Amino acid sequence: MKKKLLSVLLAGAMVLSLAACGNSGTSDDGGSSEGGDGGGSEGGNKLTVWAWDQTFNIKAMDMAAEQYKKDHSDFELEVIETSSDDCQTKLTTCANSGDYGTMPDIVLMQDNSYQKFLKSYPDAFTDLTDCGIKWDDFAALKQSYSMVDDKHYGIPYDNGVCAAFYRTDILDQAGYKLEDLTDITWSEFTDIAVDVHKKTGKYLLTSESTGGDVIMLMIQSCGANFVNDKGEAYITGNDVAEKCIDLYTDMIKKDAVKLVNNWDEYVSTVTNGEAAGVINGNWMNATITGIEDQKGNWQITTLPKVDGVDTATNYANNGGSSWYITSNCKNPDLAKDFLVSTFGSSTDFYDAILPATSGIACYLPAGESQVYNEPVEFYGGQPIYSTLVEYSSHIPEFTKTPYHYEAREAVNTAIINITNGTAKEDALKEAQETLEFKMSE
Amino acid sequence: MTKKNSSMIQRRLIPTYIFLIIVSFISVFPLYWMISAATNTSVDVSRGRILPGAHFMENFHNLTSQQPLWRALGNSFLYAIVTTLVCLLICSIAGYGFEVYHDKWKDKLFSILLLAMMVPQVATMIPLFQMFSKARLLNCTLGFILPMISTPFMIMMFRQNARSFPIDIIEAARIDGLNEVQIFFRMFFPTMKSTYAAAAVITFMNAWNSYLWPKVIMTDNNSLTMPMLIANLITGYVTDYGMLMCGVLFCSIPTMVVFFVLQKQFAEGITGAVK
Repeated sequence: MKKKLLSVLLAGAMVLSLAACGNSGTSDDGGSSEGGDGGGSEGGNKLTVWAWDQTFNIKAMDMAAEQYKKDHSDFELEVIETSSDDCQTKLTTCANSGDYGTMPDIVLMQDNSYQKFLKSYPDAFTDLTDCGIKWDDFAALKQSYSMVDDKHYGIPYDNGVCAAFYRTDILDQAGYKLEDLTDITWSEFTDIAVDVHKKTGKYLLTSESTGGDVIMLMIQSCGANFVNDKGEAYITGNDVAEKCIDLYTDMIKKDAVKLVNNWDEYVSTVTNGEAAGVINGNWMNATITGIEDQKGNWQITTLPKVDGVDTATNYANNGGSSWYITSNCKNPDLAKDFLVSTFGSSTDFYDAILPATSGIACYLPAGESQVYNEPVEFYGGQPIYSTLVEYSSHIPEFTKTPYHYEAREAVNTAIINITNGTAKEDALKEAQETLEFKMSE
Repeated sequence: MTKKNSSMIQRRLIPTYIFLIIVSFISVFPLYWMISAATNTSVDVSRGRILPGAHFMENFHNLTSQQPLWRALGNSFLYAIVTTLVCLLICSIAGYGFEVYHDKWKDKLFSILLLAMMVPQVATMIPLFQMFSKARLLNCTLGFILPMISTPFMIMMFRQNARSFPIDIIEAARIDGLNEVQIFFRMFFPTMKSTYAAAAVITFMNAWNSYLWPKVIMTDNNSLTMPMLIANLITGYVTDYGMLMCGVLFCSIPTMVVFFVLQKQFAEGITGAVK
């Protein structure tokens, strides 16, 4: 009896598993599984896309497809939700096995990590330089994230322009106005932050202790980086880097910045009202506007700039992402035309996605439209979207490195060591060596 | 035992109980927090609210409208159940074979098999992917289960437990006219139920929770599994913690049910099947 039961179960299991295989082979006869098992489409009018975030990137991509369908009724688009990390894992697996067959037609990649992939696997992406886009419609910095040797590989989409978000109600309590924090330097910011903390117990700045973005914003707002023009580690002997590190450690020592352990705690300082300010990419907007009971209490302004550096500005970028066409795309002309006529040139499209996704364009002409200039109630009527696009046009360019995250970690560790009493020279030397080691791996 | 004696024993047990209560609290609290967080809004979770809220349906609605929850649950069940059944059959036959028909060469082969336990899964990822891609086994159940149905650990577990299976029973069965296959299914299988239960719990949990391999080979939205769905919930610029915990709850319930149902046999199976 038991034997019979077991054999029935096993037979059932095998039939199910084979049936499932059969299904995936025949269900999407549109093309995606035809040869590539879910990868790029075999010509035709269908494109597959890897992207993440249902409420933001994927929504924008779906809206782009809808717009494109108006003129191309037989166009089809399938978005496969793939997180940024997973996309990188899959890409690495495909590249190392020499089989790009499972890659989609279009892929979204983080600006900070793309350079590493372009340099390691240059044959994975399609050159877009002559696809018909007016590249000057995008801020120079955003273009440079997806460029190698003057060739364009990506269409900048998600803007990572930074802003200083402040709680005006807390500033009021401490006797400050937004103007007092506009276009200031970091040392002026530190004085105000110390005062605000004394009077209200709140912090004007919070940051993750090991992966904090603030130090990267500081140095990049000067048009510099922790690498030199040749891409080598450049922490010791780098005056701009030292100035940024001095300013930041000074803030920590004076308790002007609250250090937290991870991203969830960082978000928590904002939601529970401990943070009177957030200095980060514009995408923090989504977190901030989610806190209904703080409506009307937030406003944005420019970042502080680094003292005593000629090239210092009040503008920086953190994060963002761009669209890429993979070399597995069987219909690159369709993919190019689709991206160019939506993300690459249509202010109507950007006007449509802004209210639906709060996604701020890298496409500069979009910032001049009516939709972008409308006041935002949450920010007390500030037209934050056009302001942010305007900020993004002022961000200085700097030397990119595939080792962005490694540099960030090495420098943040050095900062923690300095505040814990290590001599600055030793801490920086260690950071320099760590980064050099990571680069040699 | 007199009343006095038993009350003394009870009093002596008080520190033990206190210790156990503390440890239980520490183990159960994350589970409680997960359930309570699934009923709160994202901002409340982020603010550290511990009490249950009234937003479960809202979180659930957000989850089902953004993600194909039922399809992912269905896929995960299909993959995990098929993997568990096939794995138990193959590994138990292998373990039984290594123990009952053992000789010098089979023992050597078994040692080589154990060496395979030392190779991390990540190291085999790229060659496996190449093989499966060429064999066109991407995006299907067979592709998911094949690398998981025969693991050195499971074979070893069955072999160790088969050691306690009395050889006399096999000999008696042979005299009574059963062939080797019949002996396995009619004698070994019913006797080793608790080993099967323990192996089932472990395999089911591994299959249910496996993430990297399915993520690499499943490139189709229709093949999404629960851990992949959870990963999708934390990729955006904003994490909806309430919705996330709601998803985690749905992902945890099946493994909890399987464990609680087979808990007794699991403990027996781990400590030794035949008394």
